[in-house]
Amino acid sequence: MTRFIVPPYLLAHLAAAESPRLHRAPRAAQNGLLAMSGVDRNAAPPVVRSAVDAPGRADGLDRSISDAEGAEELPGRRVRDEGGPATGDVAADEAYDALGATYALFDEVYGRSSIDGRGLPLDATVHYGRDYDNAFWNGERMVFGDGDGEVFGRFTASVSVIGHELAHGFTQYTANLVYQGQSGALNESVSDVFGALVEQHLFRQTADEATWLIGEGLFLPDVQGRALRSMSAPGTAYDDDVLGRDPQPAHLDDYVDTTDDDGGVHLNSGIPNRAFFLTAQALGGFAWERAGRIWFDSLTGGGLPPTATFAVFAAATVTAAEARYGVDSSEAAATISGWRGVGVEPVA
Amino acid sequence: MIVTVQRTGGFAGLTRTWQVDVEAEPDTDAWLVLLDHVPWSSAGSRVAGVQPDRFVYVISADTRPRRKARLPESEVTGPWRELVDRVQQTASVDAARPEGR
Repeated sequence: MTRFIVPPYLLAHLAAAESPRLHRAPRAAQNGLLAMSGVDRNAAPPVVRSAVDAPGRADGLDRSISDAEGAEELPGRRVRDEGGPATGDVAADEAYDALGATYALFDEVYGRSSIDGRGLPLDATVHYGRDYDNAFWNGERMVFGDGDGEVFGRFTASVSVIGHELAHGFTQYTANLVYQGQSGALNESVSDVFGALVEQHLFRQTADEATWLIGEGLFLPDVQGRALRSMSAPGTAYDDDVLGRDPQPAHLDDYVDTTDDDGGVHLNSGIPNRAFFLTAQALGGFAWERAGRIWFDSLTGGGLPPTATFAVFAAATVTAAEARYGVDSSEAAATISGWRGVGVEPVA
Repeated sequence: MIVTVQRTGGFAGLTRTWQVDVEAEPDTDAWLVLLDHVPWSSAGSRVAGVQPDRFVYVISADTRPRRKARLPESEVTGPWRELVDRVQQTASVDAARPEGR
């Protein structure tokens, strides 16, 4: 039985997309649509699940988009419900689509219905504030600004951003890593990991094909930078006259001790980010299948304290890899070497 | 007398700083009143729920004694919001003025 992971309406959207950002996605989407149309009618129907637009969903995808209309009151005015038609407002429709892609990753790859595993509604608010150059998770919903028109455009323009914000909800419902210091950097890294995997899964990219960039497409054209963060090469995402250079460390030796940013959670996330990248690169293929599975198991396994340090988290990923693939598996070995590659020794 | 607003965190994790010399502003008195009104000593004392990717503000003033407060974005409301907005807007206007005003 042929199984299609990206739902038809998303494939059609990608196939028609002309954004220069989408390199192989439109071609891949065309191929996906062609393959779908050639399905043997006598075979079992293709498993096209989860993110397909259809009213009255029974399987847990329940999205809503609201519009804050430039104010800072939440939730804002409801503009789209699950299964509802596109609004024509780019930010609202991008959020809706990417919420679906996030749900699709968690449901189809990991068997988890929404971020809490029980079909929690996925709610987003767009057009928050004025010149608001940010996006965040408020404990219940995701909130997106339109950018400041100088450095940033709208924050819904990158699938990885939406996946990142929803993944904060996923972390909240699982390991609930404390948003401070090392556990906070891990919290941030988990969001980058699953944000990247949502994007890679959507575009069917292998670990080698993926950009490993977070927030690609948020910067306005004059900014000298590709993205906000690079998981493969932390510290190289941007180098701009006004913003300065990407300050992320790529190794524990360069861990930043600071009181800024809740103890540098967006800085030091570079270290576990690269550990994940190295693990995924060593294993090859689609990163969500094995490296992502190991990280998912670590967060949902129940053995991770909210105050986990890098070493404790690393140990949990090794334990998870050994549990799923075996103590002497290449998966466990790749996980250990991934962490050692950034100077972290997995020690519980 | 310099008032500084430093903003870190946010999804992008960028650090931005805005500064105003309130004595060089035409409405210095209004600034001083506002600086007196913000609740410096109770800043950051509320145990608010964490909201990942929100900003963190550090606001300081070269008053006597020197004042400094660290606030999560969700607490930048009321007089704090007024002060931060004013500093950001004024600093932008000042930056756009020709050299030597």
